[in-house]
Amino acid sequence: MLFNSLDFAVFLPSVFFLYWFVFNKNLKHQNLLIVVSSYYFYGLWDWRFLFLIFFSTLVDYSIGKSLLNVTNQKKRKGLLLISVFVNLGLLVFFKYYNFFLDNFIATFKFFGHPIDIQGLNIILPVGISFYTFQTMSYTIDVYRKKIEPTDNFITFCAFVSFFPQLVAGPIERASHLLPQFTKKRTLEYDKAVDGMKQILWGLFKKMVIADNCALFANQIFDNSSELNGSTLLLGAVFFAFQIYCDFSGYSDIAIGVARLFGFDLMRNFAFPYFSRDVAEFWRRWHISLSTWFRDYLYIPLGGSRGSNWMKIRNIFIIFLVSGFWHGANWTFLVWGALNAFYFLPLLLSKKNRTNIDIIAQGKFLPSFKDFLAMVFTFFITTIAWVFFRANTIQHAGSYVSGIFSSSLFDMPHFKEINKGFTVILLLLFFIFIEWCGRESQFAIENIGVRWPRIIRWSFYSFLIFCIGMFMATYETPFIYFQF
Amino acid sequence: MKKFIIEIFKFTLFAIIFYIITLLIWESIKYPFLKPNLYCNKGSYGNTFTRLKEAKKINTVDVLILGSSHAYRGFDTRIFNKNNISSFNLGTSSQTPIQTLALLKRYLKTIHPKLIIVEVYPGVLNSDGVESSLDIINNDENDFLSLEMVLKQNNIKTFNTLIFNYYRNFLNLDNSFVEKRIKNDDTYISGGYIEKKIGYYKPKNITKQPIIIDKKQLDAFEDIIYEIKNRNIELVLVYAPISKNLYSSYTNNHYFDGLMMKYSEYYNFNSMIKLNDTIDFDDSNHLNQIGVEKFNNKLIEIIKNRFSKN
Repeated sequence: MLFNSLDFAVFLPSVFFLYWFVFNKNLKHQNLLIVVSSYYFYGLWDWRFLFLIFFSTLVDYSIGKSLLNVTNQKKRKGLLLISVFVNLGLLVFFKYYNFFLDNFIATFKFFGHPIDIQGLNIILPVGISFYTFQTMSYTIDVYRKKIEPTDNFITFCAFVSFFPQLVAGPIERASHLLPQFTKKRTLEYDKAVDGMKQILWGLFKKMVIADNCALFANQIFDNSSELNGSTLLLGAVFFAFQIYCDFSGYSDIAIGVARLFGFDLMRNFAFPYFSRDVAEFWRRWHISLSTWFRDYLYIPLGGSRGSNWMKIRNIFIIFLVSGFWHGANWTFLVWGALNAFYFLPLLLSKKNRTNIDIIAQGKFLPSFKDFLAMVFTFFITTIAWVFFRANTIQHAGSYVSGIFSSSLFDMPHFKEINKGFTVILLLLFFIFIEWCGRESQFAIENIGVRWPRIIRWSFYSFLIFCIGMFMATYETPFIYFQF
Repeated sequence: MKKFIIEIFKFTLFAIIFYIITLLIWESIKYPFLKPNLYCNKGSYGNTFTRLKEAKKINTVDVLILGSSHAYRGFDTRIFNKNNISSFNLGTSSQTPIQTLALLKRYLKTIHPKLIIVEVYPGVLNSDGVESSLDIINNDENDFLSLEMVLKQNNIKTFNTLIFNYYRNFLNLDNSFVEKRIKNDDTYISGGYIEKKIGYYKPKNITKQPIIIDKKQLDAFEDIIYEIKNRNIELVLVYAPISKNLYSSYTNNHYFDGLMMKYSEYYNFNSMIKLNDTIDFDDSNHLNQIGVEKFNNKLIEIIKNRFSKN
């Protein structure tokens, strides 16, 4: 079930009604309702994969409980390794099996020993990269004695399968989300209204900006060999906004929906395209994954301590793993490596924490220096996105070299350029709103709070109108579902 | 909680009113690319406006024809009249079963045919039907059946266009509209047929394709059969001739024939009469006037036989 579907428009109020009006007196019943509705929500994609979620849940729940009773350090480590092995095993099998096999075959062929092994027709379960990381974080935190394991299976099921964030995050930490399932929830008016606003903004980002950008990004990437440099650059910019609005739109809806049920999910995006350097960008982009890698991989590896070689090694490991997490393709690895190259000079010169505040905080316009830094950061991340979007490394290479050709200064030209003009207008409107709201949790959180109600409601209604007038008329799943 | 529910309710009402008013204003924007999900164009394709206006004055006919452009370009009501069979052609552009059903329910209130011919074509049974819905919404008076049709379609463009046309219908803003009967090579003939200036088709290669039937369209098709049979009206399904190269591009024509035969008396004219792609066709989909006459004469034979038996 997609957030941007009529099915969800029926599903959400129905669950909301049952949650607050039928099961509101009993916390256990509320949690059970969350589990049932989450499994239903997920099962509409492919009910067979419900067994996989259940299996992953059962393994980590049992290991979590066992860790409480086992004091022997070796045994504890063994239990942790079982959890990591099971979760990563599922992920590797479903996501990377054919990739490794193809590269294995290619390597043998390269050395003159062709082998014939048939790949498997494996369907990637939606959201597997998200929920496996979430359950793993629980077991690791229990192992590290940061949290107490839960003894309530339904509570743990609800934590793993909570439908707003099940298929594309934010990847929650047990220490943050799990306790919320054990406390009585209340619907606070201000939080619920904020939730509704965040859902609206998420839908606008996804349905108006991302889906329209996708139309032209796809067209330009699919015909890149025939297009001039300026069009290719425009295509990359369209993709940069597509992926941002698609993914952060999903996160906004997820956080907003969770608020309607009395939950606070962690922030996943903090206006990353207003960053002044790549380090700031990575503090603002897919925060739940970046911090996951920081806490469970980067810091255990030594983080930014030690010699420069250690720092370089750790940065490369974390960016390559992050790239590989996104998909089984060399393009994602190159994307990760490119970001590591962007990041390294900042780390080695100890400038990676220069920009920790919000750009032009308290002012409307940034300084010229900040503006240039922001444009430069956007440009280099956009070039990196080309590798993320391209089908192969060769495709990405020819695309990037196409951008840096003399035709970069020609007029852009592609099919239905008039419609492209509409998308650019919408993008300008979107960037303006995001800029105005950059000091909030999400763009429209505080916009208009002091306006008269009729003006404020007109603004929200205008966003709804834009969705109705500009949304794509075909079904558009979220990009991150494939990861 | 109570405050939240009340505020949501109030805002929803406000947003609906805001949406409708903005939509009505937005339509006046000149540039179509600034209103991609709104299409308001009266009298555009296939003289639907004139045809539906004429249909409102019809009371009793022997034969009522429904279907896509294959119908309004392929069933010449003048030839039917010459053979003493009164007829009306209610075909509209790209009409899919979802629209056929809406038109049937709307016009069978006033038109009382002895026989209904539903023109069937695999292409429309796999179409989303949006183009045809927009055509009907823009060119007919909209009622609850239009809403039913739009809900089945579940496409924002048809929703927006319907809202706009409800408003125009409500204020009778289209009363003075007169559609040209001659548009380029097309001439609208009273009775719903469109005659095209004679043209000849140069066959081109068409990629092989399987016939795929959309579930929503098949459901609507079954509703059509039920609706007609429930009113005790005779029904004939006709697969009008298309060019040989288009017909042979479908890899599973037998499947389609088998499916249609399950529902009613069915004639596939692609295997019943010999036509020449160049001489008898205007393009891969449509007969020219020479082909129409050959096809209609054969069809009328069948109808006359049916009528004489009854």
